[in-house]
Amino acid sequence: MSSSRRSFLRELTGAVRDVAAAAQAPAEEPAPPPSRDPLADASLERYSRQLVMPEWSEAAQRALSDASVIVVGAGALGSPVAMYLAGAGVGRLGIVDNDDVELSNLHRQLLHFTPDLGVPKAHSAAAKLGFLNPEVVAEPYQVRLDAANAPGLIEGADLVVDCSDSFATRYDVNAACCAARIPLVEAGVLGMSGLVMGIRPCEGACYRCAFPEPPPDAPSCATAGVLGPAAGVIGSLQALEALKLLTGVGEPLVGAFLQVDLALLSFLRVSVQRRADCPDCAGA
Amino acid sequence: MTRTLDITGLTCPMTWVKTKLELERMAPGEELAVRCREGEALENVPRSAREAGHAVSVEGTTIRIVRA
Repeated sequence: MSSSRRSFLRELTGAVRDVAAAAQAPAEEPAPPPSRDPLADASLERYSRQLVMPEWSEAAQRALSDASVIVVGAGALGSPVAMYLAGAGVGRLGIVDNDDVELSNLHRQLLHFTPDLGVPKAHSAAAKLGFLNPEVVAEPYQVRLDAANAPGLIEGADLVVDCSDSFATRYDVNAACCAARIPLVEAGVLGMSGLVMGIRPCEGACYRCAFPEPPPDAPSCATAGVLGPAAGVIGSLQALEALKLLTGVGEPLVGAFLQVDLALLSFLRVSVQRRADCPDCAGA
Repeated sequence: MTRTLDITGLTCPMTWVKTKLELERMAPGEELAVRCREGEALENVPRSAREAGHAVSVEGTTIRIVRA
């Protein structure tokens, strides 16, 4: 590697650490985001390639900039989800993650880089999202979501995207979203397969209606492995469904889940009925 | 009344983005006169407007679009 390239990378690493450190330090006076009008001339070009789509409109773009979205998990699914939502112009992104960046994360967690090893993922993610789109307010929450703190974390959100990696967290997120009637996009990925499900509480089946109990021998990413691009595909589908739910553009996947087998490239859409005795959504 | 839009300082895709957003703000039947440069915009904007279902006519470097 040339010395100029080395010094460039050193500067870049320093910049990332500075931003991450600034995000962790209590800000005296938070700087306002550069622009809050997605259709101001300065912002228009940023969103131009989605604005030219016949399906997209000024209303869709404004719906995104007015939206507040919580992304649970800043890992393999959370990376593409948060990046696409930030890029598309979602106004506020709350990133919830309690882990630090580890070397074994980097093959699939696109928001984190080797110089980020040891940095809390929520802060590493928020810093990168700020680089990607300074018009987005990216808020790191360095905390593990659980049943007790979930209602407070999702309060006021227009949508929650669950990119966590455990059934326990998914059930906590689902229960909190049902209780608060906040739309939710669930997903999971393992090996070369995954699943995506959109949930509009009380309109269609929720995650627990579809999966009342966790599988008894559920493997985790740590024991079963996962291929980076497989997580990228599932996370991208999750981001797509999130944009549909936020803007009303396209037909969102609600009351059904999509089973994706990437080894065979097969996509299966499975309709799910609400359960009258669902502990999460029946009483919501 | 005809609205006017000057996109002579823009390049693709901003030429159509500006035109499309202006059309979204208009009522069906209203006319928009778009002033553009020779070349890319004059080729692409009328085509995009027709694909979106609007009625289009071109006079010199002025594109007249009647909102669908």
